[in-house]
Amino acid sequence: MTELLLARRRAAIFLGLFLLAVVILTMQMRTPDRRQVGPIGSVMLAVLMPVQSAMVRIADRVAAVWAQFSEIGRLRVENARLRGQVGALRQQVAAFREAAATSERMQRLLKFREQLSSPALAARAIGRDPSRWFATLVIDRGSRDGIVRNAPVVTPDGVVGRVIEVTPTTARVLLITDSRSALGVLIQDSRDPAVVEGRGGRLLHLKYLSRTTKVSAGDIVVTSGLGGVFPRGLVVGRIVQMMREEGALLQDAEVEPAAALDRLEEVLVLLPRY
Amino acid sequence: MRRVLIYGGLLVVAVLMQATWLARVEVSGAILDPLLPIAVAVGVLRGATSGAAVGLAGGLLQDLLSGGPLGVNGLIKLVVGFASGQFERSIYIENPLLPAVATFAATLLSEVLLLILGAVSGLGPGPSLDAVPRILIAAVLNSAVAPFLFRGVRSIEVRLDR
Repeated sequence: MTELLLARRRAAIFLGLFLLAVVILTMQMRTPDRRQVGPIGSVMLAVLMPVQSAMVRIADRVAAVWAQFSEIGRLRVENARLRGQVGALRQQVAAFREAAATSERMQRLLKFREQLSSPALAARAIGRDPSRWFATLVIDRGSRDGIVRNAPVVTPDGVVGRVIEVTPTTARVLLITDSRSALGVLIQDSRDPAVVEGRGGRLLHLKYLSRTTKVSAGDIVVTSGLGGVFPRGLVVGRIVQMMREEGALLQDAEVEPAAALDRLEEVLVLLPRY
Repeated sequence: MRRVLIYGGLLVVAVLMQATWLARVEVSGAILDPLLPIAVAVGVLRGATSGAAVGLAGGLLQDLLSGGPLGVNGLIKLVVGFASGQFERSIYIENPLLPAVATFAATLLSEVLLLILGAVSGLGPGPSLDAVPRILIAAVLNSAVAPFLFRGVRSIEVRLDR
């Protein structure tokens, strides 16, 4: 009996509260903005709003700090990504520069080839003699391409040397600075003959030049065409210093090679005319 | 009177926390609602009348501070608190799984009621399958804090009974 009464009481209270909630909700529906807190609600809001505002400010502060932390992390990741991109772009730029430089060199080489009277073959320098004893260079063309022993090797700047060894796919070039190298030359202006030989260093040695010849530093030395290896008129280098000995019949000179022999990349090999 | 003040204070703190802090932490659109486990806990520990009263008071407070129409949450939590009271003293709260399961079910009930009420009153979007993932996540979130809130409500009751 008591249990039944309690259950009824519970149901009555629930119904009462339910009706209260429904009435409150229905009242809201009638107002234009669907919000009418009433006097009790207004008092509660007046009390709770400052607390709520303070809590919102705290939450804003925490959110700001958190945003700062997450921003730092995001910036770090972005920084690493951008650094990677910069590295990749630098490599790309270097590759483009290299390609542009190669293209420029090749254009000069082609232009120079058109000026030559004999047929020529472009080749790429693929190796150097690692020892300092010999000044030689390996190129990526060989007998299969028509290269023969003693073929002259030149660049648009000047003479490089001659082929001394040929394989089907490569050839070894003896540079004019090698001590085994010697070639007949002419002083370009005076047309006086002489011989230029290598000394194993950076400069060439010009000898057998008549004492009566008037030459000075800066004069251009070209191939004479004598000797049957180099055609006439190719630039060999420029006189940098004269050496006259007292009482000697001949005079010597130091010649700087016109071609940049220490940084050769592409060369032209002159082929025999058949 | 002491009980009313303590529960009133608990509800105010919970509503303020929910409105200012927890509402910012959305998980796939779902927000943790600590008032719901509190109403369920009071209903289970003290009976349907107390659960309904705490649910109504908490819900009305929530409506008051959230800026929405007064009575929506009040009505829903009233029903949830009363329904929880039907399991008075039958849920063993030392096992954290049972309060969590009860809260999970209560959250589903409250969300269903909210959708129905929204559709009837024209205040909400009405029932939609799109709401299912959000409702399930909300139920999981509420269930996760339920064991702690159940213990908190029980410790309040133990102190008040001394």
